[in-house]
Amino acid sequence: MRAVMRTTLLVLLWLCGNREVLADKPVFELEIRDHLFFPEVLVVPANTRIKLLVSNNDPSPEEFESYELNREKVIMGKRTAVIFIGPLLPGEYPFFGEFHPETALGKVIAE
Amino acid sequence: MLLTSVIIVLREVLEAALLISILSALSGIMGISRQWLIWAFGCGVAGAVSYSLGINVISDLFEGTGQEISSAAMQFLIYVLLLVFVLLAGRSINGRHSHGALTAIVMAAIIALAITREGFEVLVYLFGFADEWRQSLAILTGALIGAGVGISAGALVYYLFSNMRRRYALLYGLCLLSLVAAGMISQAALLLIQADWLPSQLPLWDTTAWLAEQSITGTLLYALIGYEATPTAIQASCYFGGLLLLLIAVLVLYARTPRQTFRGTPD
Repeated sequence: MRAVMRTTLLVLLWLCGNREVLADKPVFELEIRDHLFFPEVLVVPANTRIKLLVSNNDPSPEEFESYELNREKVIMGKRTAVIFIGPLLPGEYPFFGEFHPETALGKVIAE
Repeated sequence: MLLTSVIIVLREVLEAALLISILSALSGIMGISRQWLIWAFGCGVAGAVSYSLGINVISDLFEGTGQEISSAAMQFLIYVLLLVFVLLAGRSINGRHSHGALTAIVMAAIIALAITREGFEVLVYLFGFADEWRQSLAILTGALIGAGVGISAGALVYYLFSNMRRRYALLYGLCLLSLVAAGMISQAALLLIQADWLPSQLPLWDTTAWLAEQSITGTLLYALIGYEATPTAIQASCYFGGLLLLLIAVLVLYARTPRQTFRGTPD
């Protein structure tokens, strides 16, 4: 019984420690304004897990979408969304706003 | 605007429509009244409305990953319910509908969850344009066309299964549901990777050049069997593990059913 408890405690400690490591990911920011992405090109380090903060400054909702990054997330008007991406091989990864695909276009470049 | 609206609504409607058509065809084949569909629609629409009204609160949960976690939870639940459905439907292959009521509840829950998940995005999209009435007409027309195409595809699948012999309809229907379910569980895994709950990996392979996810065939296969051009190892193992579990259940139940039981039943 004691062994079980000790193992559980160790696993919990390991998880807590791990979560701190997780929080250290580099943060990159994207902004949506008038159905456009700023910046349009985001350069990020390759082979690294990245925390992407996408803030939607428009009053209308948008959906961040990328087939190449395999990501999809609804961002309501005047809200900021957290999206984790990567690790990415060096290359270009286009993304777009699914609700305004004619204007809301951009790409992530991993290098 | 019109085309965007068609694509967005079609993509969402297609997944739910396929599940609805397969389940209601199998419901008819198993001799279960389709009354559960009314409950499923009612609860699904109520769920989609509540989810979109509460989206700001939901999104902020779990350090800003509440959308991913709640969506993944719903997809995982759909998978579990589909597994339960396969076990129940498999038992009723031999003509005894001892669990008809329970099967109906499970089917209603699957569809209600699917409509909640897919309907939410359509609602957010449509209400986002409510103020811009000039665009609203194009968007609404597009939404109707998208929904129409999605529902037609569902109807096609429904009649395909309804016109099959009972034995084959059940076997193929349950196999197709297994593929849909496997797609659900791999999508749930992807959402947990996006929320950083599961470790991220480089994709195992890239079949984009062969079949792009955003192509028409890719979209259809995504809705039907959860096609993914660049899956990671976690996603692929969730997909194939989930698929294997369901297919084994289908085949074991099917093999245990004596062939003679089908002779007396009308096709």
